[in-house]
Amino acid sequence: MIEKTQLIHNKLGLHARAAAKLSHLANLFTSDIYLIYNEDKVNAKSLLGILTLAASVGNEIILQASGGDEQEAITAIGDLFDRKFDEES
Amino acid sequence: MPKEIKGIQIAQIPELNQLKIVRIFNEKWIHNLVSHPRPQRPGLGLTGYLKHIQSGRIQIFGKTEAGYLRNLKEEDRNRCLKNYFALKLPGIIISESITAESDWIAMAARYGTPILISELHTAPLISRLSAFLYQYFSKKIKMNGVLMDIMGQGVLITGTSGIGKSETALELVNKGYQLIADDVAEFYLDSNDDLIGRANEIIKNLMEVRGLGIININDIFGASAVLEEKKLNLVINLEKWDPRKKYDRLGEDTQYFKILGLEIPLITLPVGPGRNLSTIIEVAVRNFLAKKSGKKTYLEIKDERPRPEEEPTGPEVEVSK
Repeated sequence: MIEKTQLIHNKLGLHARAAAKLSHLANLFTSDIYLIYNEDKVNAKSLLGILTLAASVGNEIILQASGGDEQEAITAIGDLFDRKFDEES
Repeated sequence: MPKEIKGIQIAQIPELNQLKIVRIFNEKWIHNLVSHPRPQRPGLGLTGYLKHIQSGRIQIFGKTEAGYLRNLKEEDRNRCLKNYFALKLPGIIISESITAESDWIAMAARYGTPILISELHTAPLISRLSAFLYQYFSKKIKMNGVLMDIMGQGVLITGTSGIGKSETALELVNKGYQLIADDVAEFYLDSNDDLIGRANEIIKNLMEVRGLGIININDIFGASAVLEEKKLNLVINLEKWDPRKKYDRLGEDTQYFKILGLEIPLITLPVGPGRNLSTIIEVAVRNFLAKKSGKKTYLEIKDERPRPEEEPTGPEVEVSK
C-alpha cells in the first residue's frame, strides 16, 4: 500500500465534473484506491463518494492505493490533480 | 473511521424548534457547548448532592425541580442554586412552560447558563432531545454500498466498483422499493444500539448509473421511492462468480458482517451471466424474513431414499445389578 499527500489546486475543488474525471481515471486501475480527507475515507472509483468529501481548493487530501498497479495509479491521479483536472489554462 | 465529537452549541441543535421553546433567558450564553448525549434531570442535585451532575449535560427542570425550589426558604434556595449553577452547566430547559423565577435567572446568569422555557411535557422533551443528541454524538462510519428499504428491511448492497450495485438498486427502485443512499451510506448507533444508515446530505436521493450519469430518484420516481434513514438489518455482498469458491447451496450458513461492535447477517451473492440480481435480492430478503421467524427449508426436504436395514450399532452392555 502506498500513500501520497495531494494538494487540490483547481479553483472549484472536487466538484462534480472533477470528481467524474477522477473516478473515471481511478476505474482504469485494478488497485483499491481511496481518498482520505478530514478522517473520511472514500473509494476513488465512486463518483458520489468523492462528492461527499466536499473538498475545496487549498485542501490537502491523502491518496491511498493498494494492489498490482498502485504506483501507476497514484502517479496518474496525482498528475490529474496537478493538471487542475484540465479545466483551467 | 469513527469521529470524535467535542460538542454542539445549544443554538445549533436543529431540533430546538421541535422542542417548542417559547422563551429564552440569558440568551447571550446560548452558544454554550453541550458535550454529552443524555439530558439530565438534576433531581437530588438541587438538594446539594452534586456528585452525579455532569457539567457537559443539558439540564431539564420539570414540575419536581421547580416545585422543590419554590418550597425552599430564600437563603436555602440561594445556596442550592449557587452550588448547582457553579458547575457551569451548558443550559437549562424548563418544561411545561413553568415560570422561571427571577432569582433562578439571576443566579444562572452569574455562572453563564441560559434558561430555555419549553411548552412540552418533560417526557417528550427529554426523548426528542436525547434522540437528536444520540445521533449527533454517536460514532459514525461510512460504508460503500447502496442502502435500500426492501420489504421493510434495511439492506446494504455491497460489492466492488463496477459490479452492478447501482443498476441492481435501480431495478429494485423500479419494483417499488426505497433508496436511502447510493454508493456511500453513513451509519450511526442510536440510543437502542441499532445501526441507522442515511445518505450524506450532498448526495441524498442521488444515484449514479453508468451511461445515464447522476440521476435524482426523488425527481424521477417521486417521494415514495426515497427514505431519509433506515435501520440496517441485512448486508448483501455481490461478488464475481468464482467457480472454485464454495457458495451456500443449502441455505444453512449464517454469516455476519461486523461493524461498530454489532453483527449484521450477511449474504454473499455471486454475480454471473443470466442471474437476475434484483429478483434474487428480493427473494433473499423474503427468505431472510422467513428464516428470522424460524423457518429452515433445507431441513424440510423429504428424504425418501431406501434406508439400509438397521443393524445394532455396538455390543450391548450388560448392566450388572
